[in-house]
Amino acid sequence: MSLDPVQVMKGQDPMPSTCPATSNGDIKASREDNKDTHENVGSTTKPKPGPVRRARKVEGGIFFPKPENAVTIAVSSRVLFRTEKEQKVFEQKGIEEYLRYQVEHENEPFAPGPAFPFVKALEAVNGRLRELYPESEELFDIVLVTYNHAHVGIRLINTINYHNLFIERFCMTGGTSPIGYLKAWHTNLYLSADAEKVQEALAEGIAAATMFMPEKQIKVSETQLRVAFDGDAVLFSDESERIFKAHGLDKFFEHERENENTLLDHGPLKGFLEVLGQLQKKFYAKGHRLDCPIRTYLVTARSAASSGIRALKTLRAWGLEMDEALFLAGAPKGPMLEKIRPHIYFDDQMFHVEGAVEMGAIAAHVPYGIAQKYPHKKSSNTDK
Amino acid sequence: MSEIKATPSDKKDRTAEEKDWAAAKAHFENLKSKKPRPPKPKYAVTIAVSSRTLFDMTAERKIFEEEGMEKYVQHQQENEDEPLKPGAAFPFVKALMVVNERLRELYPDGEELFDIVLMTNNHAQVGVRLMNSINHYDLTIERFCMTGGQSPIGYLKAYMTNLYLSRDSKKVGEAIEEGIAAAIMFKPDVETPLSETQLRVAFDGDAVLFSDESEIIVKQHGLDTFFEHEKKYENKPLAQGPLKCFLEALGNLQKKFYAKNERLQCPIRTFLVTARSAASSGARVLKTLRSWGLEIDEALFLAGAPKGPLLQKIRPHIFFDDQMFHIEGAKEMGTIAAHVPYGIGQKYNKGKLIEVEKQK
Repeated sequence: MSLDPVQVMKGQDPMPSTCPATSNGDIKASREDNKDTHENVGSTTKPKPGPVRRARKVEGGIFFPKPENAVTIAVSSRVLFRTEKEQKVFEQKGIEEYLRYQVEHENEPFAPGPAFPFVKALEAVNGRLRELYPESEELFDIVLVTYNHAHVGIRLINTINYHNLFIERFCMTGGTSPIGYLKAWHTNLYLSADAEKVQEALAEGIAAATMFMPEKQIKVSETQLRVAFDGDAVLFSDESERIFKAHGLDKFFEHERENENTLLDHGPLKGFLEVLGQLQKKFYAKGHRLDCPIRTYLVTARSAASSGIRALKTLRAWGLEMDEALFLAGAPKGPMLEKIRPHIYFDDQMFHVEGAVEMGAIAAHVPYGIAQKYPHKKSSNTDK
Repeated sequence: MSEIKATPSDKKDRTAEEKDWAAAKAHFENLKSKKPRPPKPKYAVTIAVSSRTLFDMTAERKIFEEEGMEKYVQHQQENEDEPLKPGAAFPFVKALMVVNERLRELYPDGEELFDIVLMTNNHAQVGVRLMNSINHYDLTIERFCMTGGQSPIGYLKAYMTNLYLSRDSKKVGEAIEEGIAAAIMFKPDVETPLSETQLRVAFDGDAVLFSDESEIIVKQHGLDTFFEHEKKYENKPLAQGPLKCFLEALGNLQKKFYAKNERLQCPIRTFLVTARSAASSGARVLKTLRSWGLEIDEALFLAGAPKGPLLQKIRPHIFFDDQMFHIEGAKEMGTIAAHVPYGIGQKYNKGKLIEVEKQK
């Protein structure tokens, strides 16, 4: 089957911007433009009367960008949707029962998972990019990479259509590791619920993070993608972290001041920030700086005067712009994040990730660097 | 069998004779235990390979084309003891043998094995060199069909061939028309190391496993109509394509492993690598496979992304596709690819209609 990658589609534009009152992830608004009847052969349960998705039509844009030109985000099924019940079936009753359960519940869509708002926001950005640059392939491309077998594929496809997502590329590996395929897709970011896979991906040089489901959901923007990063061991390498852990705060400040003009080494998510920056520049070029649909935040426990300069100089040297920078000097990140409401927040320390999740922010753990060996001591000595 | 009344002198001869026979039989039994007997065609999964796919015979082919038949046969006879180099189908055949070994471990008396038949246009004189080469690599190919120039199609049917691999597009086209799964093999430009314990077979979707009905819609009416059509007929299974039965045969063998609780170490793994997009048109594909009772281990929906890099990661022993464009892409990245000349994709090259040449 050959689909010419450069296929320009003409038609109506069903993008979320035209549909006003959709709440976060739950599409209750009905899209009754095209009354396709959904026949169900041989299934006893009637499908939920959700919006029937017709074939995706995009006004004058590239449908399927080439992987090397696009910013490829690989998500696993467990972070895109909530599959706790099915996980339990798998763990308790084994694989055959799990497959049977999935096939039985095929027409029941999953509930949105932690990465769902992020993916929705990516699509919103894509919509804007297509408006401004109809011929460009520099878009976000979302690939579903999952350990699941092809049987489960139908339920995933039904769910994706139900929520009106645009995920056309799948890798269902039926049990083997999907890490090898990530490189073939030129993956810029890999999100998973499984820490092991994320570590494998990081070892291969692919930006990756483990996502966690917040207990309460705070409402996030539907028109602007907001990504928040920690500084050390996420954007930058963990060298400073090491000094702090080994020699203490004083030594750390001295070291930072002495090496103010030496660039920090890059960390696992620097590449991803870079591609976000490139897309941002495309909006700036067309005079959309004020309503750019991508916004980046630096939320670091560093203190500004004592150690912040090095961080900012490093970013400048890399040619990266950060929209907002918050230097907390040890203050808890949770309340800040609640105000920022990022679609995703990357941090290397579980302590911060847990704090964020408690306050309802969507957080992702980057298992990199020396902080992994030090479980956090709940002391007040977190000044940096 | 003549009934000779035993006379004393005869008896003496007889015992000597019997001893001879007994010794011969024991020797044969001995032989039997080392190289097991090939299975009956109707139970086995028969793979017919041509000599040019099994071995690399480019040099010999050149001699045949430039200097003629006599020179070619002479050359082959002179170099009889020199084994030929492995060809495109060689790793595939080796992997089949590994699977056979595992099957024999689990089912010692089973006849449901892979059976490899050498189907070649060569004359019988060349046979010696082929046999020497086969023995050199310790392959188990006991069945030969040296057709000396005749079409092998009749023999393929007689052997109940499940898959025919050749380098000759005409023969492959004939075989497909007769309903036999067949493909033209291509040697990759770069060598990639392949698994020695697991047979990995990758299939394209449309016009390989499924019929080319959807392909026709895309080519004639465009992507829009295709997506609508697929959504509308989501629950209607696609018609089958030329390689569906081969996938079925692989699936049957896989089930034998699952039955003995070897699902995780199954030495056969199947892959679907399709340019279809998952949400818009993937459901029909998965439902069709399910309605046929076929399981595929890994499914990759590419939505138009190039297949080369992913195939490079999969490292199949063979990849079937109907479009030369994809075959060439796979070849460049070191994947062993086989072209299935079926369906409307043959008239198009990279999405453009090829000008039909006037037939002589």
